[in-house]
Amino acid sequence: MAYPYRHESETRILSEGFGDPAARTVAGWKAMGGYAGIARALEIGREATIDEVKASGLRGRGGAGFPTGLKWSFMPKDARRPHYLLCNADESEPGTFKDREIIRWTPHQLIEGCLVGSYAIGAAHCYIYLRGEFFESTQVLARALEEAYDKGLVGRDIMGSGVDIDMTLHVGAGAYICGEETGLMSSLEGRRGEPRVKPPFPAAVGAFGMPSTINNVETLAATPHILRHGGEWYRQWGTDKSPGTKLFCVSGHVRKPGNYEFPLGFPMMELIEDVCGGIPNGRALKAVIPGGSSVPIMSADDCRECSLCYEGVEAAGSMLGCASVIVMDDTTDIVKQVRRMAYFYAHESCGQCTPCREGTAWATRILRRIEDGRGTEDDLDTLIEISEQMTGTTICVLSDSLAMPIISSIEKFRDDYLALIRRGERVGAA
Amino acid sequence: MTDTVTLTIDGHEVTVPKGTSLLHAAETLGTEVPHYCYHPGLTAPAQCRICLVEVEGAPKLQPSCVTMAQDGQVVHTDSPAAKRMRQGVLEFYLVNHPLDCPICDMSGECMLQDYVFDEGREKGRSREPKRVFGRDDFGGDVLYYGDRCVMCTRCVRFMDEVARDSRLTVVERGSRAVIDTFFDRGLEGASFAGNVVDICPVGALVSKDFLHKARAWDLDHTPSVCPNCSQGCNIELHTRDNLVQRLKPRENQEVNGHWMCDYGRANYEWMNRPGRLEEPAAGRGAKRRRVDWKSALEHLFVQLRAGVGAEVKVVGSAAASNEALAALAAVAGEAGEVSSRVFRSPRAADEVPLPGFPLLVRRHDLAPNVDGAGLLGFERTGDDEAKGGLEDVAGHDGVLFVLGDELADRNEDFGAAAGLYVYLGAFDSPAARNADYVLPVTTFAEEEGSFVNAQGRVQRYRQGLQSPGSARPAWLVLGALAAALGGHGTPATAADVFAGLVAAHAAFAGLTWDALGDRGAALRTEAVHG
Amino acid sequence: MSDARFRNPGWAGNTGEFDLTEADVRGSEFVGEQPLDGGHPGVAPSLPYMLVRKDPEAPLFEGPYLERFEKIRTRYPTARAALIPALNLAQELRGHVSPETMDEVAALLGLSDAFVRGVATFYTMYNKRPVGRFLIQVCTNISCNIRGADEVLAAFLEHTGTELGETSSDGDFTVAEAECLAACGFPTCVQINSRYFEDVSVEDVPEVLARLKREVNDGF
Repeated sequence: MAYPYRHESETRILSEGFGDPAARTVAGWKAMGGYAGIARALEIGREATIDEVKASGLRGRGGAGFPTGLKWSFMPKDARRPHYLLCNADESEPGTFKDREIIRWTPHQLIEGCLVGSYAIGAAHCYIYLRGEFFESTQVLARALEEAYDKGLVGRDIMGSGVDIDMTLHVGAGAYICGEETGLMSSLEGRRGEPRVKPPFPAAVGAFGMPSTINNVETLAATPHILRHGGEWYRQWGTDKSPGTKLFCVSGHVRKPGNYEFPLGFPMMELIEDVCGGIPNGRALKAVIPGGSSVPIMSADDCRECSLCYEGVEAAGSMLGCASVIVMDDTTDIVKQVRRMAYFYAHESCGQCTPCREGTAWATRILRRIEDGRGTEDDLDTLIEISEQMTGTTICVLSDSLAMPIISSIEKFRDDYLALIRRGERVGAA
Repeated sequence: MTDTVTLTIDGHEVTVPKGTSLLHAAETLGTEVPHYCYHPGLTAPAQCRICLVEVEGAPKLQPSCVTMAQDGQVVHTDSPAAKRMRQGVLEFYLVNHPLDCPICDMSGECMLQDYVFDEGREKGRSREPKRVFGRDDFGGDVLYYGDRCVMCTRCVRFMDEVARDSRLTVVERGSRAVIDTFFDRGLEGASFAGNVVDICPVGALVSKDFLHKARAWDLDHTPSVCPNCSQGCNIELHTRDNLVQRLKPRENQEVNGHWMCDYGRANYEWMNRPGRLEEPAAGRGAKRRRVDWKSALEHLFVQLRAGVGAEVKVVGSAAASNEALAALAAVAGEAGEVSSRVFRSPRAADEVPLPGFPLLVRRHDLAPNVDGAGLLGFERTGDDEAKGGLEDVAGHDGVLFVLGDELADRNEDFGAAAGLYVYLGAFDSPAARNADYVLPVTTFAEEEGSFVNAQGRVQRYRQGLQSPGSARPAWLVLGALAAALGGHGTPATAADVFAGLVAAHAAFAGLTWDALGDRGAALRTEAVHG
Repeated sequence: MSDARFRNPGWAGNTGEFDLTEADVRGSEFVGEQPLDGGHPGVAPSLPYMLVRKDPEAPLFEGPYLERFEKIRTRYPTARAALIPALNLAQELRGHVSPETMDEVAALLGLSDAFVRGVATFYTMYNKRPVGRFLIQVCTNISCNIRGADEVLAAFLEHTGTELGETSSDGDFTVAEAECLAACGFPTCVQINSRYFEDVSVEDVPEVLARLKREVNDGF
């Protein structure tokens, strides 16, 4: 077997080249139909390119799910000022590991996606903001980009079209918040990666003060396929509100964790049970975090009927986010994991906004105390109230991202908390 | 398209110019929306999150410092949601902010203390030990207490945007973040860094000079004008026990914005200098004896009237008020033929502009009223250290007046040949030995008056200290003499003298004492440049 | 399906039943030699900056490094934007970012020293003090954590004989905790200098360390 994550029921669009070293070369990628998407875009023009992506219904894969074609259409049409496409390859949402796969196995898929996006928004320069830790995959992308430059696919007069598109790999240095679009812009400009107040929105005032669009790796990687085959073709998969296929990152307590590509709307339990081989060691499902750590935790019951599309997960009380399905069996210590998440968000808070800077750190300490058996029931009320105060009160949503797992875990797994509190009380009494 | 928008804030309709923030719009109604990171002299990062208000139709509370007022908006600064959010933010601050108000210099004027008192929870819920950073000497006059810092970054933005001298930064991130300099390199040598202490909303940045010196509530605040250079930054004298404890800038967008320079700020001890002249005296050398004001002025008046027609020489001062200088000129004019009216004043080699607020410059002239003295007919003499230039005055054999110049470079022979020598000063001088009258006058801090700054702006200052002994404002002493000699009414207030000054000096035409108010007014441009 | 441990091709000792080599997975042959001058300007800011060889006294921005830095400068509209690539380059050479390094970089780019310090301390990948030849960063975030990352971290500490964040007496190893490394399907993920070691279990730790000892002179 060349590649571990394979299941016969997959719909492989983005993941077709995964596990095949040949796909890293221009020739290999072209043999898989590569660079036909950008060729068609150049042929039909910018407006039609945006229209095609609009027609596909592609939604941003970075977590927010904003329609990509619509986002592109916000960019000013004039070319008086430089426009920038920023590719967000700062993948760091806990539970998410899809972008690195795209980069290290199919670098040209990303390069082509960046070409399509840059062309559509009139950007002559695309920055790919790569997570600092991705040294190895970044080097794969670097060699691929050099080859693309060599072959006239990137740079001046790409593919003889008269269009210039430059690309620069920009490597970060360790900050989760740089995955937030305005934090990414701050970081790209050489500053602390602190998010900025919107408005102004990036399409008006983005990187270096210029109109900018920021798209996730997986989003951009999907666009060459959409251009090549048409928006309608893409809509054959998924649901009306969530068209297309998606890479599902499954981690945690399953026999075969990994990246699997399915149409949106795929049933969660089928993914866990059939595709990933179910939960090992005879344990039962306890909880799932369906969209990376920044979304509400689902109980096993919530998962039964849940389909993995934006509206489906929302109906089940959580969010699809970037479709990072973290599976937890009944041995999982929920309080410990929520405390670990809180520690993460406190560690990654940029520190600008008071509710986030103070709230994430405070919540972490309360959770640690509960975990150590020194908590009280009042602490749970305090945690919920802190979480509410961290929701919708800050520049970006980092603190909201911690509030959701805290609130949902206390709602759904209150007994886990109470058990620790009572055990602590007993120890204290003795 | 109109240039204004009309919106409703807390049930009151208000019309403001387009581009006005909700925070400002509320201010016009007298409503203060609590804020920390926002400062009117700096950009607003909207990060403290305490100025969030409810805007009907918006999904979330909006930061009022950066949300622009729009037509028809309905805003609630005091709705349950906004209040709850503020209470939450305040509680977040207090998770780590020490309750060391009893030993904190900011206590009494602290924005955290005030807001918590107004709207905070009665009891904090945090049971965790507080974060400890300790204190850090930032160099210059600035001390940083990291534990008290609310991370509003006003100080960092001041140094970046206004001083354009980026010596402060946020170091680390999240709850480990603190403000710091580049390791051992601090604020020493910076020219405007003292302003970061003023704009710190809490006691994180404090003045070393002021450290533990006085409690905020014990200080009296007097609107004044910085006397340390000819920029005339608007300031407040903060006084206690009849001593100036510190100088603070007072906003005036025409002069100094919200700022003042470190040189001006640091130079206040001279206002508290002991050893003052307290009682009038008459008689030369060994015959010097104390007299009361009444007899001093009566005798002086008689002598002046008797000697009318003599040649008069006058030494004034660029630290004296317009009123004193004008009254001095008037007295001298009544006394005889004025052959010389001079003043000496120190000059610095350089000017120090504030790059982000270019109107504010620490000027060459290190005295407040060089321009006023010039307009009132006094000529500069002496060198840049305010020495020399009095050779012909020293041996003058007519009438001689000295006001406010301590004559530090002159010896006891000064004025020996004078027919009548009147010395008005705050301090005695060896060169006053030959004076027939030594009259104690007040310093600017002890009187009302006005200066003309380098921009040609007339600015009033008010009395912040009680004068020692029976020292009187020079304008009162000289104004009374001038009135007696000229046969008109005696001025009772600085305003009276100013009115006379305006009538006598075309350069000041059109100005009134009341119109000067606490913000001053510009002279007509031809007066300044003509 | 069996409950036997499912092994992903994270590293050479561990490609299990798959016919991919470690070089295939890492793409190391495809990548080949990474030119010190940075290669094409578009990729010049992307070189790995956590290497075995660290010379705290190394001159910055000389020879091919200067050439690379000049290329980097051409890719951004402002000098400030070259700051992070410049700090990366400095760490690649010196192994950590000292106050002296911050000062040199600030002077080079015409930025204030304090600003550079603010930026350098915001990002966790800049070592503010020297670290061992191998900086071992164990992900202990949720996906790895529920699969035993805390135990893997403990094993690394035990087998290197170090405390968290401290460097072993032979100067080879510094073990630290890392946030999610985006390899959640391959728990536990461990970043060692510029490489990932995935699917690392407690039992694998001695073997990984032995391999690193062998590689000390390879320069990864």
